[in-house]
Amino acid sequence: MTEVSIEALTKHYGASLAVNGISVKIAKGEFISLLGPSGCGKTTTLKMIAGFEDATSGAIRFDGQDVVHVPAEKRDIGMVFQNYALFPHMTVAQNLAFGLEMRRRPKREIAERTARVLDMVQLSGYADRYPRQLSGGQQQRVALARALVIEPRILLLDEPLANLDAKLREEMRIFIRDLQKRVGITTVYVTHDQAEAMTMSDRVVVMFGGQIAQYGAPADIYDRPASLEVAQFVGQVNILSGRLLSTDANSISVIDTALGTVRIFNAPRSPDGAVTLVLRPEAVELFPESAGQAGVPATVTASYYSGSLIDYLLALDSGDTINVQTFPRSRFSPGDRVTVKVDGDRFWALGAAA
Amino acid sequence: MSLRAKSLKPFALIAPAVLLLGVFLVLPYINIVVMSLRNPGSGTPYAPGFTLSNYLRLFADSFYLEQTANTLVIGFITTFVCLVLGFPVAWQLAKTQMRFRGLAYGLVLSPLLVGIVIRSYGWTILLGNNGMINRTLIGFGLIDRPLALMYNSLGIVIALVHVFLPFMILPLMSALQGIDPSIEAAARSLGAGRITAFRRIVLPLAMPGIQAGCILVFVLSLSAYVTPSLIGGLRVKTMAVSVVDALIDTFQWPFGSAIALMLSLTGAMVVMLFARLTRMKWKAN
Repeated sequence: MTEVSIEALTKHYGASLAVNGISVKIAKGEFISLLGPSGCGKTTTLKMIAGFEDATSGAIRFDGQDVVHVPAEKRDIGMVFQNYALFPHMTVAQNLAFGLEMRRRPKREIAERTARVLDMVQLSGYADRYPRQLSGGQQQRVALARALVIEPRILLLDEPLANLDAKLREEMRIFIRDLQKRVGITTVYVTHDQAEAMTMSDRVVVMFGGQIAQYGAPADIYDRPASLEVAQFVGQVNILSGRLLSTDANSISVIDTALGTVRIFNAPRSPDGAVTLVLRPEAVELFPESAGQAGVPATVTASYYSGSLIDYLLALDSGDTINVQTFPRSRFSPGDRVTVKVDGDRFWALGAAA
Repeated sequence: MSLRAKSLKPFALIAPAVLLLGVFLVLPYINIVVMSLRNPGSGTPYAPGFTLSNYLRLFADSFYLEQTANTLVIGFITTFVCLVLGFPVAWQLAKTQMRFRGLAYGLVLSPLLVGIVIRSYGWTILLGNNGMINRTLIGFGLIDRPLALMYNSLGIVIALVHVFLPFMILPLMSALQGIDPSIEAAARSLGAGRITAFRRIVLPLAMPGIQAGCILVFVLSLSAYVTPSLIGGLRVKTMAVSVVDALIDTFQWPFGSAIALMLSLTGAMVVMLFARLTRMKWKAN
């Protein structure tokens, strides 16, 4: 297992700055995702780790040793590409054998390892097929097997599920994550799909404009986003503006919002007392007005049913609108009067210290 | 649409091409085969009756056997030189964002923009004993006597390479453009250096283009007439030149037809052998 350390890594393309001094430490065997919109520098970062792009400045260390000047073929990495990049003129077995041949392994060992890894990706019967005879999901697993059979120091994946249909994509998330855990290989995964990053990663690096916006465990990023951008990119979110009423000796602030008075620890102070709060749609509880619960009154304006969950758009009596996501246990229709309840600790003040 | 009309539709679609090929290719070929079996005449193009003597003469005379070999060799060398010169050009055009890509593309096509007779005369001006190349070299004192660049196979190959280079570069370029760059990157990530990645991955994937380019250039070289006749002169004659000699100068239609058929058959055989040797199993079915 290899520890990867990226230090002040920068990439210029002429005058434009693709990656702007990012630093990340990846522990041995850790699975991290580079998450961000297209053009945020995540793929460029991956290519620099792989050695396909030269870094303008900064360091990339594998177990402390800087590899910036090591050519791609000497870095001992396994890479899976978005379009799989299988060799079309070689069978599945030949595709897998290629990396081992480059390492001059004996024929018998190549055959054994190829068979073992094909079994691991559940493609044992497909050794003699050509890539074009396989489905997208199968090609994807061959690409994964080809990257893993060489037992590389690190595994790099560049949006490997982007070309698969939704159901297969979800299966492959779990498949890749399980495989990675079994092999225990340090893995960097590039994606623009936040659900993918959250379900698979130990930690997520959220990138915007060539810089790291936040680096942390999926739950940290989801529950305690560092900025409005992160909050909006990772899942759905309600943005509420609040006004700081008071802060006590224990750093508990009292903030007035459209959803009532909220208490928050270590809320940031701005000169005019304005605070931006974020609230995830599923943190909101809804009751029929007739139930007589204490809370904020609102009217349902729209509902979107998606099977396991239901999304509502609510108009608060104060005039604000919020999104709510609940289990479809109690169903409301547009026009229904409801009472909105939120636990105080489900609010997060942007800029607050975690 | 009735079933009958439906089943006729594909035939209707290919009918014009079939008609063109039938009338202008198959019928003349049949005519050539028949002509090659006719008796030679004196004072007339051919005499009544049929014979195999034209073929016997072709195989018995070492001049014609040598000529066949020489024509094939010119074809092979022209093809090979076009491949070696054309590949880097095709690579540049396909894989890089050159500043003058449009200009380079125009230069590649430029040999096709000038008529074949003019182009071949141009080469005689350059290659002759008193031509520009020899005069320059002598002028600089690099050589004492003019180099033999014309009236030999070398001159023919030089001029043919110039003409047929685009026919090599264009299919190569389209084949190279079709190779996903991440496939090469994958090979490198698996430990292949640039040269190994090229040899094991890029070259096999470029094979359809290499195959098409080689077959085109080879076939065109074999059947080229104007360039070999102007540059080879009376001393080096390719089969195509001999065919025209027999048909027009010496008025021996049966013998000329026999040479023409021999040329077609040897060409077809070489192409089939080449296609077999470079067969790509991964592209089949």
